[in-house]
Amino acid sequence: MNSNWLRLFLLEWKRLLHSRPAQLAILVSAASPLAGLFLWRSTSADTMLSRYLADPAIAAGTAGGIAFGLLTILELDRPSSSRAGLLTDSVVPPHTMALVRLPALLLAAALITGLTMLLWFPILRSLIGPVFPCTDYILAFLIFMGLALPLGILAAASAYQAAARTDLALAAFLAFAFLSLTVWADSWQLCWLNPCVWALSDDFTNFRIFRSVAYMRLTWLGALAGAWTLSCCCIRRYQKGCFASFALNVRRIRRPALALLLLLGAGAAYRLQPMVDHGNPDQTVMSFFELPFLDGIVCTGRTAKVVPDTSAGTVTGTAAYQFRRSAAAEPQELAGPDPQTGQQLPAAQHTQTPQPQTAAFGINPGYTVFSVQANGKDVPFSVSSYQEFNEAMLTAELPADPEIELTIEYGGFPQENRNLSTMQGNMEISAEYLCLEHGAMAPRLMNVLPDEGNYPADIQITLPSSMTLIPFGPETPERIARHDDGTSTWEYQYHGTGGICYAGDYIRQDIQAGGISIEFYYGRRHQAVMEAAGAPQAVKAAVDYCTSHYGSLSFGSGKALKLIQSRVLGGGYAADGASLLDEADFTAANLSDAGKGTVPGEVMIHELVHQWWGLANMFAPSDGTDPWSAEGLTVYTTYRIVQEQYGSAYAQEHYVRRWQQAVDDYYQDFYVRFPEYLEMLPPEKQTEITNRSSYVRQYCEMPLKIWKAEKLVGGEAAMDQILKQLFQRELDPAYPYLTYEDFLDACGLREEDLDLDSIISL
Amino acid sequence: MIRLFLYECRRLLWNRFFLGLGLLLLFCGWQVLNRATIFGVARTAPFSPWSFGDYLSRMLPFLWIGVLLLLSAYVTPQARRTAVLTDAAPMPPWQYAAVRCAAVSAGAGLFLSCCLGEAALFYQLCFGWHDWETLLAPALITLPPPLIFALGAGWRLSRIHPWLTYVWMAAPAVWTIVPLPEPLGLLDGSLFTSLPLALAALDPAVLDPAFSLPGSAWLSQGLMVIAGAGFLLAGSIRSLFSA
Repeated sequence: MNSNWLRLFLLEWKRLLHSRPAQLAILVSAASPLAGLFLWRSTSADTMLSRYLADPAIAAGTAGGIAFGLLTILELDRPSSSRAGLLTDSVVPPHTMALVRLPALLLAAALITGLTMLLWFPILRSLIGPVFPCTDYILAFLIFMGLALPLGILAAASAYQAAARTDLALAAFLAFAFLSLTVWADSWQLCWLNPCVWALSDDFTNFRIFRSVAYMRLTWLGALAGAWTLSCCCIRRYQKGCFASFALNVRRIRRPALALLLLLGAGAAYRLQPMVDHGNPDQTVMSFFELPFLDGIVCTGRTAKVVPDTSAGTVTGTAAYQFRRSAAAEPQELAGPDPQTGQQLPAAQHTQTPQPQTAAFGINPGYTVFSVQANGKDVPFSVSSYQEFNEAMLTAELPADPEIELTIEYGGFPQENRNLSTMQGNMEISAEYLCLEHGAMAPRLMNVLPDEGNYPADIQITLPSSMTLIPFGPETPERIARHDDGTSTWEYQYHGTGGICYAGDYIRQDIQAGGISIEFYYGRRHQAVMEAAGAPQAVKAAVDYCTSHYGSLSFGSGKALKLIQSRVLGGGYAADGASLLDEADFTAANLSDAGKGTVPGEVMIHELVHQWWGLANMFAPSDGTDPWSAEGLTVYTTYRIVQEQYGSAYAQEHYVRRWQQAVDDYYQDFYVRFPEYLEMLPPEKQTEITNRSSYVRQYCEMPLKIWKAEKLVGGEAAMDQILKQLFQRELDPAYPYLTYEDFLDACGLREEDLDLDSIISL
Repeated sequence: MIRLFLYECRRLLWNRFFLGLGLLLLFCGWQVLNRATIFGVARTAPFSPWSFGDYLSRMLPFLWIGVLLLLSAYVTPQARRTAVLTDAAPMPPWQYAAVRCAAVSAGAGLFLSCCLGEAALFYQLCFGWHDWETLLAPALITLPPPLIFALGAGWRLSRIHPWLTYVWMAAPAVWTIVPLPEPLGLLDGSLFTSLPLALAALDPAVLDPAFSLPGSAWLSQGLMVIAGAGFLLAGSIRSLFSA
């Protein structure tokens, strides 16, 4: 049987290679990267690998998947259309032929993937230039293109075998492809043909996004393999119809059993995907931040030993937390008298004995908690199924001891935030780059107050020796050990419950600006671009601007502000003593494109400005529905810096007009004008619409209001003076936040003065 | 004639193929309504003529392929082999062609009704909205012209070679990828997303701007109807002379 199958397979394979449709499909697939270069951009970032690797590979996968799907229908229909079906069925059983044709088509798909890779290697290498990585090239073509072709073949073959009609199979296959290209395009698990790849990093690795796409494709592969196996049961026998043939075919139970197994497996893989969390999509809900603090207990310190596995992309760690009960809550040694008898009572009857309490931690939902021990003894714990802002809640029982050391062992594959599921890649963990944020580094304590030390933390991270650890803050790490396995352990002290750290192959450049020292870290592969773009000068200009207009930042002696380049993120953030610079801020593509809409380094400027607005001057936590936040003044200041560097016309065009456009869209949006219709929608749709509007309100509406205030108070100089006074104002320790009322009072304006329906003409 | 028409309708529309296509269409329609139309386009209500037109434009590729698949039933090699018999029937070939064309049109009408009915159901369930007469204009201007054109040109192409019908099915892929000029903006839906924004600023009290289209769009849709009907008539006249 096996040799017979092999002979048939070779015959079919040779015949397939000689068939004109197959040659056409091969030609289309091999030429389709051209479409990615010139016609169809599936990514949105401007990195070289996004433009010249991801786009061509995805276009090749899309076109190849459709071409091979159509070829499959043609090939399966060939005996029927040539009216030789009865003859071929009498010579070779139709199920055997199905098992021969499918591998032949799959082999052709594998062949064309390899050929396309070889053909385009020199072309794409010359386009990408010095940042061309061979590993990424191979993985991109294998995953983005190579895996799409079998999916197209399996989907088309399943449709044909089930329908036994070319037209219906064609319609079903094209509809399946069209859904992926249109309404499923924003759902990372559904878009089987055109994966959600928004960017590939030039400077660091891209394993996380490759893993995500491979997972999606393999899930579909399982589902379609199941559908194909099931459709094999529909292969027509004895000229009977679909259902009669099915009844005959399912007598061999292994076929439907295998199909069921594959379909269930794919369903489970879909449901239990490890890449993205199941967090609350409503980003205005912050219940983890509203937990009441435990009475009578404080956290005196913590340690965390974190060991990322850079080959598997996982993390394991041990975190220990020291708790102390305050004196009022401790059991008293002395017993008091019984009020009735006057006799001395045992302490337990007289004083309030501390009860076990439950400490709550935020932990990345991808992690498993292996054990929780208090003072060396196992204590009950649980991890909530409810998740919020990329964290699940770990609760552990604290015993009634006066001093407690709670040790948590955890680990796993960190998951990304579901609200950013179309922009995956942030949780990259490799030997070239990693970023661990808050609950992904160690469980983040949420409901215990600190003592006077403000959660002193000792963090140890073991990394490949080639990596440099950079805590996202003023902390200075120290390499405390080098191990024989090529890893090193770094240590730093931190104050707080969370914490962020970056590590990678970084270059450090020191810059003096605005009276402060700036440690500027960027990837080694990015050095040429940074120098050509004049990134250090842009950093200096932004810091000098803010210092001269608002005042200088104050850091502790010997402390510096860190500016760290991340892999391409699509945004950034800032923390006390550190700001992020997105890789996409300075790219080779930006350098050669003078007409680009936003200036190079815009995100970097924005995140630097946050050191003034947001960190040095704090804003009350916002739930996203309030337009007043640190973003308003930060975006406005970014606009002013851009105006100073690139001219008024440029800033008006790319900032003020865009805010105006976004605000117009927002104010005139149907659901804003008629909120009663919003309430009619299902909750998940309501959340989706609300999330969209919070960005506009904070990043466009408020800067536009501040811009309007600038006109009303007498111009830029007057506004600068007002902002300087606000920046340098005396802080109220009880409520140190800068409020919208503070801003309006400083401007001498009322809230209605800044209504945007009477916007000053641009 | 009517009996023949009913017979052809039954042959073409009363089978698993048509049912399968209809179910496929309904599934795609629900996906579009739930994932795109529900947000409304160009600041208008999901049930505005603009959003509804956008929904129809998104459904057009599916309908285009569906109609051509119905047509393909008459151009398969098997159907061509039976042409010898039908040509010998005591009936002018152009009449028979017209009946078949009417049957395909009836199928297209049923598909169209599925799309419209599904949208109506969606609006009723989601918003309790049922002013369906306001959607008549976008429904009539958006779908029938390109479908008549698809049918006529497909019919003509199938006479040249049956496989050209299948090639013609790929036409929507072209306007999905390549931007179309404004007069053809009803095909890819770009007119529905751009026109309301170009109209005067919305009055907050008014639900949506009134539905109107530029003359060029009417003209292009009219030309499509004329071209499609012309292709169909040309085929029939040829049959008349060959008879």
